[in-house]
Amino acid sequence: MTFEAPLEKYAVKIREVALGTGEKARNIGGEDTLPFHFFEGALPNPPGLALEIMDTAPRNWAAPVLEPFGDAVSDPVDWGKRCVDDFGAEILFLRLASTDPLGEDTAAADAAETVARVADAVQVPLVVWGTAVEDKDAEVLVETARVCAGKNLLLGPVLKGNYMEVAQAALEHGHAIVAQASMDANLTKELNIALCKFFPPEKIVVDPTSSALGYGMEYTFSIIESIKQFGLVDKDKMMQMPVLADVGVECWRTREARENREQGILWEAITGMTFLLAGANLLILRHPEVLGLIRKMISE
Amino acid sequence: MILIGEDLNVMSKTISQAIKDRDPEPVKQYVEGQAKNGMDYLDLNVGPVKKAPAETMEWMVDTVQGCTDIPLCLDTTNPEAMEAGLKRCKKKALLNSASGTEESRQTMMPLAKKYGSGLVLSVINDTGLPSDADERAGSILESLEYAGELGIPNEDIWIDPVLMPVGVDQRQVLAYMEFIQMIPDLAPGAKSVCGLSNLSYGAPKELRGLLNRTFLVIIARYGQDAAIVSGFDAELVRLVRGEMPETVSLIHRAMDEDDVDLSGLSKEDQAYVKTAQVLMGKTLYSNSWLEV
Repeated sequence: MTFEAPLEKYAVKIREVALGTGEKARNIGGEDTLPFHFFEGALPNPPGLALEIMDTAPRNWAAPVLEPFGDAVSDPVDWGKRCVDDFGAEILFLRLASTDPLGEDTAAADAAETVARVADAVQVPLVVWGTAVEDKDAEVLVETARVCAGKNLLLGPVLKGNYMEVAQAALEHGHAIVAQASMDANLTKELNIALCKFFPPEKIVVDPTSSALGYGMEYTFSIIESIKQFGLVDKDKMMQMPVLADVGVECWRTREARENREQGILWEAITGMTFLLAGANLLILRHPEVLGLIRKMISE
Repeated sequence: MILIGEDLNVMSKTISQAIKDRDPEPVKQYVEGQAKNGMDYLDLNVGPVKKAPAETMEWMVDTVQGCTDIPLCLDTTNPEAMEAGLKRCKKKALLNSASGTEESRQTMMPLAKKYGSGLVLSVINDTGLPSDADERAGSILESLEYAGELGIPNEDIWIDPVLMPVGVDQRQVLAYMEFIQMIPDLAPGAKSVCGLSNLSYGAPKELRGLLNRTFLVIIARYGQDAAIVSGFDAELVRLVRGEMPETVSLIHRAMDEDDVDLSGLSKEDQAYVKTAQVLMGKTLYSNSWLEV
């Protein structure tokens, strides 16, 4: 008698979300099985790996993660090009750090203009990220959506307190969004339900928020894993969105990453790889070598 | 189903103020309202009472007994207040509550024996709240053994499996249902009781009653004997007193069947079905579970 491995078939799939436009546009999600279960189903899109840049020269990035970019960090267009041309980033993540009301408090119009400059300079899909200050993000992301109409940006984080404004603008100007609910599958579902009353579900990515190795990574793992299981196994339509994990920022905050270059790179790579195993569809990374490491791991 | 009205509670501003002022009027109103709604017991929750514990509980017991002969369920973590109250009760009262912690064994459980009251015994012990049905069973067996040594018969014990909010962890709600079905074997003669409102803690205020009522119908089917409930919820009473048989059987159907056809149902009945599906763990809970 020959052994036949029991295989699971899920009648549903994670929604496929399109990012960007033109030749470099790409999709994330779309799998009808659990992460890396190639033997069971189809995973049409490899996980998206984005490199992070900021709209202002970072003040507190550790030396090892600044070093690869040199002077480029002082201008987001140069920095973005460097990520794409020199380090092969297929997706770019632009954190509008300077819009923080407690920091430089850059006006929405100026921030949107920066986004437009970056979007015009690179062809790859662009994720645009606010500061999670609901009122300010509502201004910044709405203005960005308007100025960059038709570019199919991925705008986030969209939160309980500003989802109406931001999602409405994204809908009107042709962008996708990232709905963020902190470490709670119930709240993730609640926000998705609220959004789907007027926003197309196939343009939503979810962010359950991330923690680094040694700082609560296992909680993020469990949440990502359960989101995917609710979506695929329980066929919950409100939980079938691709998942984003904002890895770099959390990892390079840790003492362990900051004190040693090699340790930092491994810290970020292990955290990111772990989230891919949990089911993340889009990783936000900081160090170009981590991008290479993870790409190598998932292609083998 | 034995219903214990929860509204004489220090968490209520009205009651808290009435206790402070020793003003019997609001207390009387709360008693009458719950009595009219058919409560079998009235819970008197005076909190931990740091100031004048004995005198406070005595005042509450006397005030309530002055306007009703419904038996009382005394609810405080303060043993001094508990003892003072039990002494004053004219009818067989309930001590709410004891647990498996060492402190509770020493201070609370003996009072039930001394005054011949019923004993609400929760599954909490010194290691905290058990995480599943089997751990609950282990914990309650130890407590029952101790209660037996004190001379408290199973017939006087009301087991509280501790109901957690559905918004915190749906699996705990399922563990609750599994556990109450084990009680007749674990503790023949003992009753099950729960603080029903805790189920909906954190849910939108206007929907809490719906969660509580649906769950009460579900656990009644699994053999739940008693519940501490909102004493003013008339629909809840009608549901468990056999006055809404169609809604009850609809909830039972939602428990048994994977899908219930919602077309043709009233909005209220659709809400009961969706709520039962969430409580049975068939769909992931969110605060907007009715909107899907």
